[in-house]
Amino acid sequence: MKLNGKHVILSFVLFVFGYLIAVGYQHTSFFNDTEEITDEEWDRTFHYRQQLIDLEARNQTLQQDINDLRLDLMKMEENFSNEQQTLTEAVELKQTLQAYVGELNIEGEGIFLSLKDQNFVPSEENVNDYIVHDYHIQLVLNELYSAGAEAIAINGQRIYADSHVVCVGPVISVDGKSYPAPFEIEAIGNKDTLMNSLTLAQGVIDELVNDQIEVEYKQMNQIVMEHN
Amino acid sequence: MWLSIIFLLIGVLLGLLSDITIPEYYSNYLSIAILAAFDTLLGGIRAHLERVFNAQVFLTGFFFNITLAVLLTFIGAQLGVDLYLAAVFAFGWRLFQNIALIRRYLFDLSQKKRQAKLNK
Repeated sequence: MKLNGKHVILSFVLFVFGYLIAVGYQHTSFFNDTEEITDEEWDRTFHYRQQLIDLEARNQTLQQDINDLRLDLMKMEENFSNEQQTLTEAVELKQTLQAYVGELNIEGEGIFLSLKDQNFVPSEENVNDYIVHDYHIQLVLNELYSAGAEAIAINGQRIYADSHVVCVGPVISVDGKSYPAPFEIEAIGNKDTLMNSLTLAQGVIDELVNDQIEVEYKQMNQIVMEHN
Repeated sequence: MWLSIIFLLIGVLLGLLSDITIPEYYSNYLSIAILAAFDTLLGGIRAHLERVFNAQVFLTGFFFNITLAVLLTFIGAQLGVDLYLAAVFAFGWRLFQNIALIRRYLFDLSQKKRQAKLNK
């Protein structure tokens, strides 16, 4: 077969023609595919859409519920934490009070005092002027309390709000228990404050020394008082 | 001849493989272009049978007819008048005429052959 210009032109024209036909065919089939929506399909689409809407509505309701419950939970947690705090405060208060009434061991810094009868009593003098009396102890106790002592013990026995200290002959009775001299007084509190208030000029120590009592005192970093 | 058929097949394949989507609005243009191309092709065949075929006329006619038809459709769309119907009518008319003429020529050709056989 001879190849000439006629054939080339024909080929080219047929190529364009074929292309147009194919595109047109594809175009038509594409639109036919998309546009054919039957009533059944429409109903089904509507049905599924309705289901989706219902589901979303339910989801929203449940989400609302979740939010409400979370809020409740948060309130409850807050209440719990408040209760916890109250309880902690109550326990702390109880422990403080227990320490005050001697149900618990108590420890801390403070001072130590020892009151002793005078060893040497001149024969012409009255021996009563040379020994420790209950009012000396009371003086010390009052001074210590007013200086902010938190707990006081005499010879290891705690002194409370209703304690009494009386002189019974040669011994001193603390809440019914008798103790001979020397009397060791421990006080827990700020040791500097306590010391300063006791050693004030014309203060308690001076007074005790004037009454011929041997007084020893020192600051302690650690005093432990056993519970009753 | 084989070259033409091969090119036709290549064109069809390319058209099917290329994923061109034409908006619905332009489907009129495509249909009118196809109609114009078809008309020109048949016109070419008829001219060939009449032995008045001219390659230049055929080629220019092919593209000129397509362009004119599309242009007419475009103007019609702009004016709101269905001018493309005129093109459809004209091309359809010519299409049938060309087919009729081709049929007649082919019929004559086969009759002449039969006559020649009988004469032998």
